[in-house]
Amino acid sequence: MHRTDGNTAEIESLYRRHGPALLLFALAITGERGRAQDAVHQVFLSLIEKGSLSRAVDKKAYLFACVRNAALNEDKLRDRTTPLDPDAAWFSPPDRDYAAEQNLRRALDALPDDQRQVIVLHIWGELTFSQISDLLGLSSNTVASRYRYALAKLRDSMFAKENSYVNS
Amino acid sequence: MSTPDDERFEVYLKQFRPLAPEPLRTVWPGHRARRTFGLWTSIAAAAAILVMGVLTLHIRSNRARVTESVRNVGNSEHFVDDRPLTIWSANALLAKAPSFKAMVDDMAFRSQTIPVPKGKRSAIAILGQEKIKL
Repeated sequence: MHRTDGNTAEIESLYRRHGPALLLFALAITGERGRAQDAVHQVFLSLIEKGSLSRAVDKKAYLFACVRNAALNEDKLRDRTTPLDPDAAWFSPPDRDYAAEQNLRRALDALPDDQRQVIVLHIWGELTFSQISDLLGLSSNTVASRYRYALAKLRDSMFAKENSYVNS
Repeated sequence: MSTPDDERFEVYLKQFRPLAPEPLRTVWPGHRARRTFGLWTSIAAAAAILVMGVLTLHIRSNRARVTESVRNVGNSEHFVDDRPLTIWSANALLAKAPSFKAMVDDMAFRSQTIPVPKGKRSAIAILGQEKIKL
């Protein structure tokens, strides 16, 4: 299949639009920025080579699925015992509150992998529970349940350290 | 079922913006092939122009020298060239002369046409006047 300029522009546009959320999702799986970055780049380079994006109906969900596969493949090759790098930020925090950013990052890292993925996909990936259930191969109820558990844990974890969001 | 607390917490979480990934450093394969081809074409064209320029200069320079030498040789036919004899001019004479002997004769005659500066005498002329007893 040959690429067209339209495909190229579309892939570049998708990278700009969804790149941050895709990177965060890869980070949620690998826990390491370099590996997450590699997974996202691998997906887009593959799309550029194959030009196969046009076949996907739900392009955003398709991209998240691709990144998940790439990150998991990468993760299989290495152990998942890498400690979280305290200096490697995942987010740009509101009001440059870097302590809150670190707090959120630690709270996310403390979540079980499956719950962390659901939280990231729904909050920052802006995928619906239906899209997430298709992506993860789970029922919508399971996804919703995991999300609720994850959100509660995240809130408890962050509340234990700060009360900033209540006052904001 | 999400509670108002959940919704507020979600809003709070969404204020944290995920960092953008590094720019995708890629050259589209089609662009790369075209760019490589264009680059090599430019280099080849520049090299060709350079070679052509050097050749043109070289040929023009040679032609001017040959023209000048032919003019000189033409003059030397009448033995009026007063420039010093060099190997190059001897070769030119050889090319022009009908035979080797004729060329040697020309050279010999020509050497005598070199004027001696005022107040000086030719050593050959002096030696020629001396009577050498053997």
